[in-house]
Amino acid sequence: MRSRELVSIARVVLCAVVVLSGCKTASPPADRLSQLIAKGRDLFFNETFAGNGRTCGTCHPAENNFTIDPAFIATLPKDNPLFVAEFNPDLKENFENPALMREFGLILENLDGFDDLKNKFVMRGVPHTLGLRTSVQSPGGPRTGWSGDGAPGDGSLRSFATGAVIQHFTKTLNRIPGVDFRLPTGEELDALEAFQLSLGRQQDLALPLRLKGTVPKRGQEIFLDNKLGKCNICHVNAGATANFPGRGSLGNANFNTGVEDLPDQPARLTGKRVPPDDGFRSPGDGTFNIPPLVEAADTGPFFHNNAIETIEGAVGFYDGEAFNNSPAGQALAKIDPKGKGIELDGTQIVAIAAFLRVINVLENIRQSIELLETSRAVSSTERQGLLARAARETDDSIRVLRGGGLHAEAVAHLREARRLEDKAVRSLFFGRRYAQEAIREQKKARAFLVE
Amino acid sequence: MTIRRFVVALVGMSVFLGGGPPAPSAQEMTERFIPVGQSPGLSGKYTVIGKLQSVNAREQICSVASAAGTVNVRITERTKIWLDRSLLRQPNVQGAIADLKPGLTVEVKPEGHQSGAPSGPAEWIKVQVAASP
Repeated sequence: MRSRELVSIARVVLCAVVVLSGCKTASPPADRLSQLIAKGRDLFFNETFAGNGRTCGTCHPAENNFTIDPAFIATLPKDNPLFVAEFNPDLKENFENPALMREFGLILENLDGFDDLKNKFVMRGVPHTLGLRTSVQSPGGPRTGWSGDGAPGDGSLRSFATGAVIQHFTKTLNRIPGVDFRLPTGEELDALEAFQLSLGRQQDLALPLRLKGTVPKRGQEIFLDNKLGKCNICHVNAGATANFPGRGSLGNANFNTGVEDLPDQPARLTGKRVPPDDGFRSPGDGTFNIPPLVEAADTGPFFHNNAIETIEGAVGFYDGEAFNNSPAGQALAKIDPKGKGIELDGTQIVAIAAFLRVINVLENIRQSIELLETSRAVSSTERQGLLARAARETDDSIRVLRGGGLHAEAVAHLREARRLEDKAVRSLFFGRRYAQEAIREQKKARAFLVE
Repeated sequence: MTIRRFVVALVGMSVFLGGGPPAPSAQEMTERFIPVGQSPGLSGKYTVIGKLQSVNAREQICSVASAAGTVNVRITERTKIWLDRSLLRQPNVQGAIADLKPGLTVEVKPEGHQSGAPSGPAEWIKVQVAASP
């Protein structure tokens, strides 16, 4: 009897501690923008717009850096709405190519019209939605999607969801609003835009960084050298804007870089029909939009057609014939004193890739720390989600550094941070303390990468 | 070979440097499925919605009576005409100048952002096909 009383008292005390803990750290009242972002997040991941079951998050899952790749796709159950063409008879033909989706992460788009679904389509990868605040604006107006013309209406990021619902959410190929889907309302578009703009980086880097690693440091030099790597001309500060010498900023511009002319493109090797992708507008001019590079290393495969799997391969592309014979490659050659486009050797390609890996990890560490800090100030229910996201960023950091054979000491600290993030997730009482310790390890890791 | 390289470089430079007027970046293909008055960021701001008053097929000009007054619209070879059949719960389809009949509700998107420009060329015209009474 006595021991049962003690157990009851202990339960009451435990409950009180948990409740008080929750009260003490309750979120502050959200302002309008954070309410809008929260509404946008809910829509992004849960709203099907009365369509085939897909949401924005189906192709832009938070747990995979807001993109999909074959490895992630392989983890999904077969009834996931991404595979709707495999189990919905109305979408079996001419909606997706399931084999190319599963093997290469490619999605079907009818960017040149819906009048000949069997023959007029392109197969594209899914771009992540990180850092959009820095990567949409151009003097010619907003640029969205791989070719810059991803949104109907005014072509803005806000309008993007309307086109996505029509292309990807429909129940049948008739695509009748009010029957096959409903179009997002103005308020929903506002919220979706606010959420997407809140993701990832809010500003560009200011290069050069004071990097510590020998090879990444050299990679940064080559990246910034307008006579050697020439990367910074079209990816200013490793972002998504161009700054052509003597012409000033071109914003988030479009170029024809010759990716479509690559030989042995993986999807085409299958023998399946993969029509040429003519890029911007219809008929297209062959140009595609500049993606930001900070987020690149953990969001491959690369280019609009997922043609190249590794970041080293993506850098190497610019040393090849497809690029150097392209309009963009020729334009670079025109302003080069020796008339060269881009000529790099293997060590230089790897060095640039190492630089891209390091700036990606620095961004991942920034996000991890931000998430861990936020997790320390919220209720336990919210904390779990934030810690899980921080852990995923840490996993990416480890994978990206290890993949390039870079900064073993930093990797060791990131592994420790990851262990502590796990402990923070599991701990009932010491979650905040473990999160704080994980932040310390993240900072130690960062100190190995940059001064 | 040298001339070819020069031409390729010239074309490349013009694309690269963004010469000429800014190109519209909106996606045309999904636009056709959006009913009259619902185009995000355009409807009510950069489009004219109203009743077709007259159509001159020979001159390729039509006039639209909107709340803001009458607007003359030029139909060019670039102008897309779409039949918005969403009220009939049928798929929207491509139309032609012959589908422009006085009395029908239309939405006109002028080329560029020249809303309401007299005799301005239209980028697209959506014709609302109403359910029979």
